[in-house]
Amino acid sequence: MSAWVEGMRRVNRAPLILAGVWLTTVLVSLPLTLALRETLIQHLGASLAADRAAGGVDYDWMQEFSDVATGAAVTFKPTILGFGAVLDNLSAFLDDTRRPVAIVGFGSAYVALWIFLAGGILDRYARDRATRANGFFSACGVFFFRFVRLAAVQWMVYAFLFVWVHAWLFDRLYPRLIRDLTVERTAFFIRLALYVVFALVLAGFNLIFDYAKVRAVVEDRRSMLGAIVAAARFIGRNSAAAVTLYLLDAGLFVIVIGIYAAVAPGAGTTGAPMWIAFLIGQMYIVGRLWVKLVFWASETALFQERLAHAGYVARPEAHWPDSPAADAIV
Amino acid sequence: MNPQLSPRNANYTIDARLDAAKHTITGSEVITWRNITSRTANDLQFHLYWNAWKHDRTTFMRERALGPAAPAQIPTTDADRSRIDLTSLRLTSPVAVDLTSQMHAIAPDDGNTEDETVMAVLLPQPIGPGGSVTIEAKWTAHIPRPVARTGVIGDYFFIVQWFPKLGVFQDDGWNCHQFHAHTEFFSDYGVYDVSLTVPQGWTVGATGVQRERRDNNDGSDRTTTHRYYQEDVHDFAWTTSPDYIERTARFDGRGAGVPGSNIVMLPPVDMRLLIQPEHAGQADRHFDATRAALKYYGEWFGAYPYGHITIVDPAYQSGAGGMEYPTLFTAGTRWLAPGRVTTPEGVTVHEAGHQFWYGIVGNNEFEDAWMDEGFNTFSTGRTIAQLYEPNYLAVRYFGGFIPWVFTDIALARETESNRLHPYRRDAKTDEQSTPTYKYYPPTSGSITYNKTALWLNTMERWLGWAALQRILSTYFERWKFKHPKPRDFFDVTTEVLGRNIGWYFDRVYRSSDVFDYGVQDLRSSPEHDQYRTIVVVRRYGEATFPIDLLVTFKDGERITESWDGRDRWKSYSYTRPSAALSAEVDPARVLLLDVNLTNNSRTLEPRGPAAATKWSLKWMVWLQDHLLSWAFFV
Repeated sequence: MSAWVEGMRRVNRAPLILAGVWLTTVLVSLPLTLALRETLIQHLGASLAADRAAGGVDYDWMQEFSDVATGAAVTFKPTILGFGAVLDNLSAFLDDTRRPVAIVGFGSAYVALWIFLAGGILDRYARDRATRANGFFSACGVFFFRFVRLAAVQWMVYAFLFVWVHAWLFDRLYPRLIRDLTVERTAFFIRLALYVVFALVLAGFNLIFDYAKVRAVVEDRRSMLGAIVAAARFIGRNSAAAVTLYLLDAGLFVIVIGIYAAVAPGAGTTGAPMWIAFLIGQMYIVGRLWVKLVFWASETALFQERLAHAGYVARPEAHWPDSPAADAIV
Repeated sequence: MNPQLSPRNANYTIDARLDAAKHTITGSEVITWRNITSRTANDLQFHLYWNAWKHDRTTFMRERALGPAAPAQIPTTDADRSRIDLTSLRLTSPVAVDLTSQMHAIAPDDGNTEDETVMAVLLPQPIGPGGSVTIEAKWTAHIPRPVARTGVIGDYFFIVQWFPKLGVFQDDGWNCHQFHAHTEFFSDYGVYDVSLTVPQGWTVGATGVQRERRDNNDGSDRTTTHRYYQEDVHDFAWTTSPDYIERTARFDGRGAGVPGSNIVMLPPVDMRLLIQPEHAGQADRHFDATRAALKYYGEWFGAYPYGHITIVDPAYQSGAGGMEYPTLFTAGTRWLAPGRVTTPEGVTVHEAGHQFWYGIVGNNEFEDAWMDEGFNTFSTGRTIAQLYEPNYLAVRYFGGFIPWVFTDIALARETESNRLHPYRRDAKTDEQSTPTYKYYPPTSGSITYNKTALWLNTMERWLGWAALQRILSTYFERWKFKHPKPRDFFDVTTEVLGRNIGWYFDRVYRSSDVFDYGVQDLRSSPEHDQYRTIVVVRRYGEATFPIDLLVTFKDGERITESWDGRDRWKSYSYTRPSAALSAEVDPARVLLLDVNLTNNSRTLEPRGPAAATKWSLKWMVWLQDHLLSWAFFV
């Protein structure tokens, strides 16, 4: 619990990190958003359908658009509305629904940016004091290639989970389990149980990889395989604390989702309501990012609480020499 | 016997025994058939529908293979497949002859020698007009895993198209089509007297009413025989399961349960609902929707004459949902069924409505399925609009189990009930006048259901409901308990309207052309002290229809023009003190078949960028949320 609270405090004490990852999220999503906007403008043209779409929902127009949509635009459906958007993505995640190539491409780029930023973020949370931009990006640079190597392992594990385990659970086992069922409720609970199994496996590996990153940063580890083994060892010896912390962090995720379910705006109109709705949406995104950072910060705090003193980081903080130009100033 | 409503020229007395463990039915039947045509019958032709799933080379299976790569509910193992083995066929009247050895499969539709869904047998002597024959048949059938609405799953049996059944003998010979993947059935009216022997304690639902029930104690094989009887119907379906919960209610002819009803002259109907335990809380929703269909269809087209109806809530995964049989139909709901969404109401109204369009008016579903499915889709939409608006879009997540209601999206009868969206996609795939069984299977539904509903709803908006209601009720009254053909409906239309609108049917029925009108150009420029406005309207599609053009000016003036819609384009010009604001073709949206609504209008103050900004920002939040799913993997 103390690591959990400490994690939240560390995230809150570094608001620029949160702002930075939010900005990253905005920047990655912006090109596709602008492209979609242009496509919508072209489809609406000078039609009065735009009036209806601006004033609320023109479902007929949305369906006409979806008939001709290509690329990322095929995801422009009513399911983007309000909390439906969250359900759409959560459901797609658990059901392994494929997305258009353009979205996969931007998703991959987003992952790459996170891999780059992860070293700086964890370094900042481990030190729990301002590292300034040069310190932050120095840590990003130091750990980037290490985390790329770690990502290669992660990719293999997650690909195995989604391509093989998920397919086995939901495409082979589930149909077999419900083959002769005549009660939908029972089928649902069987599927729910399989979701739980899959989520537990996924969370288990996620936990290991999280601590692998934490140990890599705090202990300045170069071998990522070594970091993974060390992470597993740490989790094994502190399983109750590590799992409880993960569940507490997951609880924050549920709370953020729950709040958004209650306040998620509907279609609305253009003008001020549109921007208010967008603002609420961004607050939700910030909330989700905050939860993700709390995962990392609290796990760092737990590791430091159990194996290293708080604030310990093996890697010395980067100190950049003065620029030769400094002589000229004197 | 009740007063005769139909010719009753194909009467069946059937005795069937279900072996629930072995999934077999052993049956015998006596068919009394009368030749009501002016032609002499030299042979008899029977449907043996269950042979459609005997192997992968039947016509049904070949057509299904044209659909999705892995269609649901296709039998893939021998245990899941079915067959019907006719073990004996004897003529007992006018002469006694064993015809078993003469039976042979025919394939009148496609010549597929591996299809055994139609069996023919030569008669020892011709049966002239007015003549009768009596035939005795015995068969055994293996019940399939659910396919095409029939079969067994767990202890749930839904048994339809299950007995050797005569085709329809017409003035041009036998009309006895093979079983196709996307068409249904066609039979003569008659009296069905059917005894069904099932395990004791199991609930039975069937066409007609139960006349007799007898427990049989044959050692360890404890069974009950249920005898059902129904006159003036053209099919018999039944179901049995130990799990059904039975509820009853009554439609008292005044539309009880239907708010605002003032109808008093419809005959009462006893409703029996066999519902799954997990849906027990939705019983009233089923009854209310059935009442709505009985009331509105009865009021609009003609009364339901049978006095009883059985609603079957099919078991999960039975695939039996949403299907019609005389005096019995399957609805279909979900464990989680939010109140503001028309599940189960939509399907209940639709299938109850089939009692009128299919059951009472018995068109040929193999050839003209649009006459029942299309008419009924239109009627369903109209009925739903009376009672269940607003209703909303619901999307199901997490394996299709969890519904989420989008209250921003109220579904409109004109587009959603008539299913404009899928029609738009498939509009050119087939001419509606093509025999339905020859439609391209994956898109046949759009031409059968959606296009018809759209052109009927267009007629309602064009001619007025009063005129269309007169057409439909006249057609219903004239053709009830008969087998109308498309021309019969068109003739009624001409008779009721007093004019021929054959040109309209040429476009919607005899053609696959699409309707698409639009505003190509709108300009308004100062000219002296006035504004000169030019509007160009265009016909982008091949089909034509008279439409209106509404031009709105900034000072509020509105001008409506009527265009016959025949030329490819037409321009209008105006000199007015004010500039134009917008121009819109078909502003009242009469022509629901128009496949592109977005190009129907043009404004000089476009809000496209504002609308696009609003919607792209919403999409952006969705995208960001999606990106956060990716971030999980870091």
